[in-house]
Amino acid sequence: METKTKQKLSESILDKFSIDFLRSQVLKNAYGNDDTVIARLDPRILLMWYLFIGLVPWFVSNLWFLMACFLLVLVTTKLARVAGLVLLLFAVGVFSQTGYLFLVSLLFGGDTSTIIPLLILTLKVATCSLASITVFSGLDPDRLSNGLMWYGCPERLSFSISYAYRVLPMLMEEFQNILLSFRMRGNPPAHETFRGKVRYLFYQVQVVMHAFYPLMLNTAKRSRTTVEALEIKGYRYAAVNKTVKKMKLATLKVTYNDLLFTAVSVLWIALAILASTLF
Amino acid sequence: MNIIEIENLTYSYPAAKSPILKNISLQVEEGDFLAVVGNNGCGKSTFCKTLNGLIPHFITGDWEGTVRVGGLNTLESDVGALACKAGYVYQDFENQIVRPTVLDDASYACLNYAMPDYLERGREALALCGLEGREDDYIWPLSGGQTHLLALAGAVSLRPDILILDEPIAQLDPGHADKIYGVLRELNEKHGKTIIVIEHHTEYIADYCKHVMLMRDGSIAWKLPTAEALQRVDELRECNIFPPQVTIAAHRMRKEGRLPEAQPLPTTIAEGKEAFSSLCCRPAAPASPQRQTGEPAVRFQDVSLAYRSVKGEDRVVFDRLNLEVRRGEKIALIGSNGAGKSTLMKLMVGLLKPGRGEIFLNGENVRKRKTEDLSRQISLVYQNPEQMFIKDSIRADIAYAMQVRQVPDWEARTGALLARFRLTELQDRDGRLLSGGQMRRASLAIGIALNPGILLLDEPTANLDIATRREIMRTLTDMKGITETVMIATHDMQLVCEWAERIVVLCQGRVVADGRRDEIFGNRAVAETAGIRPPEIFSMGQALDPGALCYTVEEFLQSFQEA
Repeated sequence: METKTKQKLSESILDKFSIDFLRSQVLKNAYGNDDTVIARLDPRILLMWYLFIGLVPWFVSNLWFLMACFLLVLVTTKLARVAGLVLLLFAVGVFSQTGYLFLVSLLFGGDTSTIIPLLILTLKVATCSLASITVFSGLDPDRLSNGLMWYGCPERLSFSISYAYRVLPMLMEEFQNILLSFRMRGNPPAHETFRGKVRYLFYQVQVVMHAFYPLMLNTAKRSRTTVEALEIKGYRYAAVNKTVKKMKLATLKVTYNDLLFTAVSVLWIALAILASTLF
Repeated sequence: MNIIEIENLTYSYPAAKSPILKNISLQVEEGDFLAVVGNNGCGKSTFCKTLNGLIPHFITGDWEGTVRVGGLNTLESDVGALACKAGYVYQDFENQIVRPTVLDDASYACLNYAMPDYLERGREALALCGLEGREDDYIWPLSGGQTHLLALAGAVSLRPDILILDEPIAQLDPGHADKIYGVLRELNEKHGKTIIVIEHHTEYIADYCKHVMLMRDGSIAWKLPTAEALQRVDELRECNIFPPQVTIAAHRMRKEGRLPEAQPLPTTIAEGKEAFSSLCCRPAAPASPQRQTGEPAVRFQDVSLAYRSVKGEDRVVFDRLNLEVRRGEKIALIGSNGAGKSTLMKLMVGLLKPGRGEIFLNGENVRKRKTEDLSRQISLVYQNPEQMFIKDSIRADIAYAMQVRQVPDWEARTGALLARFRLTELQDRDGRLLSGGQMRRASLAIGIALNPGILLLDEPTANLDIATRREIMRTLTDMKGITETVMIATHDMQLVCEWAERIVVLCQGRVVADGRRDEIFGNRAVAETAGIRPPEIFSMGQALDPGALCYTVEEFLQSFQEA
């Protein structure tokens, strides 16, 4: 019974790291949560908000203020319903940056004088990362690119953002199929022993490298049509046409929710500043 | 009024030695529904690209002559102005979709050309193409047919007078193919659009098109009304175009002196009913091949599988599927797009693991084996041969699996396989650069390199012109002796009828029918629920006599005799 659950667990972990899973996470992250509070906010407001939350903590060292900022982005991340994989990457990232120092100093008898500065640094990194996650994965790529365009980013950049999300799943699918070909026809080394496992790891890295060449060629073959289609659809005209830009930006609108979101954020930050001066 | 006027057009691609279009002159009337037919590489697609200005504005080359589209000279106008005159849908239409949501993609061109009513135009185009109500959907869950309709809507939104489609139904099942042509007919008849299709399926030409234009070696052989054009059976067959089976049958009868010379050949089933009215059916003694009773090669036991979806519930593909494949069987797996055919095959080779239930391969549970170990017993050839080419020459590709397994005399075996599939001369070329038929042959050679007992083929004849398709069908028949058990997933009912000994019909992840061809095609209810369509000649026989079961032109000629 126990071995069975164990086996199941290991299977499901392996299963989770398939390309298929990555693909669905990317899609989920980009488009799967367009009905959240965050996704419906005006991208311009959200970008302004990000500018504040992402920058200010770097210049403040008051623990109360940083705590408040961290709590705020924690709430917004929750509201944005960010995909699990991104959160995992976030956790690994923060830990490898500063988190492990924090733990090490705790373990080796660091006192508050070492812990507090590390905590402050960790909070700063975490707050900025979570704010980025909220904005860049909470918003769908199109709204994000429209927001950027409003602030004067070139049309090409904003098209690239949304087009990258369009081709990424395609690329992954192609990659997956090529890897499957290798799996079906290849003959990996046995990996029961430790040495075998190391060799197997090398083999897999090799396969991924070999898969690159067919992947590029297949994608190039497919994108020939896309390039022609973009030409027919007037992509080049739009890039230099001011009216098109105006039309695209006309879809942006500040609503009651945006005001509410701004008000709550401002109030919260104000309270944090008050707290930081009091204590 | 002529909407397209071409005078003495000669064009060659940059760095090409000889022109691909030679001295073409043509007039197309407004409101026409024109089919362009011709051999592979005779310049059909190139011709169509001259109409929307991609040639010479985007793809340069040597150009002579004039092309006028809707009154505009294509040399003097730009691609944008021409896009509003002539819309284009590619053969690989899924690469034409550039935006993530349906309405977004349909209205994208209008937005780019700064039309203030771009959203309305997008909505209008979607309604015309039968995608109403899908406006806010993402493009990933769309089926192949819906994606094609979306690509069409993207072109229609600019309200062009001309629509050009390159092989619109090559990848679609008959249900979706009918839908596409239904939409095209409505655009043509109700909205007055001129439609040009490059098409190999002559049954669809007979049913829908008004004119047929035959191209041969870069020039136009003729342009004739459809009924007249399809009469030219010998000429068409020289160019590897196969007229509808009804027409071929009548043509052969005429040659045997069984039909009067003066009478025009029928091109549709309705016409055939009249032409063949004097014949009556003498059913041949029903062949009753023994049902295979060999031991099971693959067994599905209560298999369930669901795909993760971007949003909401996971999509269930199989719910407690049970199926047994016995040794030595030649099985065709049929069903509409998205019925789960490819998924079933991936499960068998262990590329996907079932959510619940077990799959046994030669008595062993697949779950317990590694995919790499299964490949000597079972092999899968993908629908898209490009994805099977992982080396830089087809020789290396065929050798790869044997080489890494140290199969004795793998070099000699590779040579033999190359010869067997007539690839010896191409052995050093990259698989991706071969023609459709060569690519397919190479992928078959790769598939049987390890001499597996079970071979799975996913749509081996999709996207091929009819001549190449016949060639692959011959190869498949040849291969019957080599590989013991073969399963083919396909929409190609001629292949099914001529090749398969057992037919399994999948519909929404369930096996709805399983048996010999008489049991499948003789049963109307099955055909209707699963959206499958027998070959035209079978329907012809049925229309004449509901008891007739003939699957090939030969069988038809034998069963139907003069009274």
